[in-house]
Amino acid sequence: MVTNWLSYSLSDFLMFGPEVFLRLFVRINQDIWPWQSVAVAMVIAIGALLVRGDAMARRGVLLLVAAAWLWSGAGFLVHYYGPINLPAIWFGWAFVLQGALLTVAALLWPWNAAKTRPACSRWSTGVGWIMLVGVSPLVAVAQTGNSLALSMFAITPDVTALGAVPCMLLFPRRVRWLFLSLPLIWSLFSVATLWTLGTWVLAVIPGATLVLAALACFINPRWAQNPD
Amino acid sequence: MNPIPSSGERLPAVGMGTWRTFNVGGDQYLTDQRTEVLKTFFDLGGTLVDCSPMYGSAAEVMGEALDTLNAREKLFSASKIWTGDGDATRQQDRESRTKWGIERFDLQQVHNLVAWQQHLATLQQMKADGDVRYIGITTSHGRRHGDFARIMETEPLDFVQLTYNVLDREAEDRLLPLARERGIAVIVNRPFQGGRLFRRFQSNALPSWADEVGCRNWAEFFLKYILSHPAVTCAIPATTSVEHMKENMGALYGALPDEQQRRRMAAYVAGL
Repeated sequence: MVTNWLSYSLSDFLMFGPEVFLRLFVRINQDIWPWQSVAVAMVIAIGALLVRGDAMARRGVLLLVAAAWLWSGAGFLVHYYGPINLPAIWFGWAFVLQGALLTVAALLWPWNAAKTRPACSRWSTGVGWIMLVGVSPLVAVAQTGNSLALSMFAITPDVTALGAVPCMLLFPRRVRWLFLSLPLIWSLFSVATLWTLGTWVLAVIPGATLVLAALACFINPRWAQNPD
Repeated sequence: MNPIPSSGERLPAVGMGTWRTFNVGGDQYLTDQRTEVLKTFFDLGGTLVDCSPMYGSAAEVMGEALDTLNAREKLFSASKIWTGDGDATRQQDRESRTKWGIERFDLQQVHNLVAWQQHLATLQQMKADGDVRYIGITTSHGRRHGDFARIMETEPLDFVQLTYNVLDREAEDRLLPLARERGIAVIVNRPFQGGRLFRRFQSNALPSWADEVGCRNWAEFFLKYILSHPAVTCAIPATTSVEHMKENMGALYGALPDEQQRRRMAAYVAGL
């Protein structure tokens, strides 16, 4: 039985080709136009809130990230990706659950007790995050050569996971893993899928998410060391 | 055209697979493109189309393409039962028929021997009731050939589907001779190893004697190697390209290699 399973390769489990997968980005962008502007506004708002850095701002960041999990999960994963790849539907509902859990955590966590960071740290975090999430959509364009294939934060899952991971540093390490598990598992799945499809450029995003998520499991900045 | 041994009905020797190629979700642009591929297949004399519930949205896309082409009378429909629930045979057959928009399948197969005892018993009853015309079992990638042979020896089957190509030739040892002996039609899947044969050999020139075996391109070379085996009824290459479909259907025409030429073809590819 084991030898039987070993005779399979990853490509045997993929029921679609790269053309169909890459068209998903074009299709969702065409279908939701002009609602991409909401995603752009979310990115700018999260960056600005990271710069502000007070208790309300932290709560706002996490509520917006929660909305991004919900939107990309129910939209891209369940509605677009799911019909060609069944596990995408399971991941889609996991994204929705992650969004719901993050909403609850953002509302209930005692942010008032969190330490305030110095201004230079807040500015570098906010601007750095916007640059990361602002450049990442271009990777799908580079892969496809089609400007309609922008893979935006809150709309597509890989960039959403990439953008969400640094925001989880707002939580202390002992609870952070709860919200890092899904981006880790999703990114492993995504890297394997993209590698098998031969869309190596696109695999950079979940690859970077894996690295960031692994780092986020260990680092513990002072401003994230909230009291109980 | 090759006869189905259990009935004598004749089938064009090149059919069409849908693994990966027809799973395009709700993408209308790609659905229209795949419809053109199917139209080319029918225009060039093809009839047998094979699908499975495992292939994502492929069955729905096939149904939409058949609606567009209004071509169900040209079709020899082949699907599979792919569920570990041995009691769900009829339900999955019904779901697949709804997606294809047909009243019954010409051929229904147990996919990769999943829960085969129960599914095959139900399929035998369905055939007796006239709910399906032919029944069979499938395997791929050379898996479970021992179990496969035992089922071929003991169960009444119209068709078997297996992997066979110029590199994957294990079926020549036992399964293909057994199919001839038992009067079972053979559908060959993965005739191009899922496209790997082209990636590996297409940069090489065809042998100088290719026209002697009726081959003008690599697609015909790979397919005619398969179709010239006396046990093979039909091969089912899958493609997303109209041009590739034309090349595939070219294997229906012209000379087929004899046994000595087949050995030469296999040796040529092995030497590249």
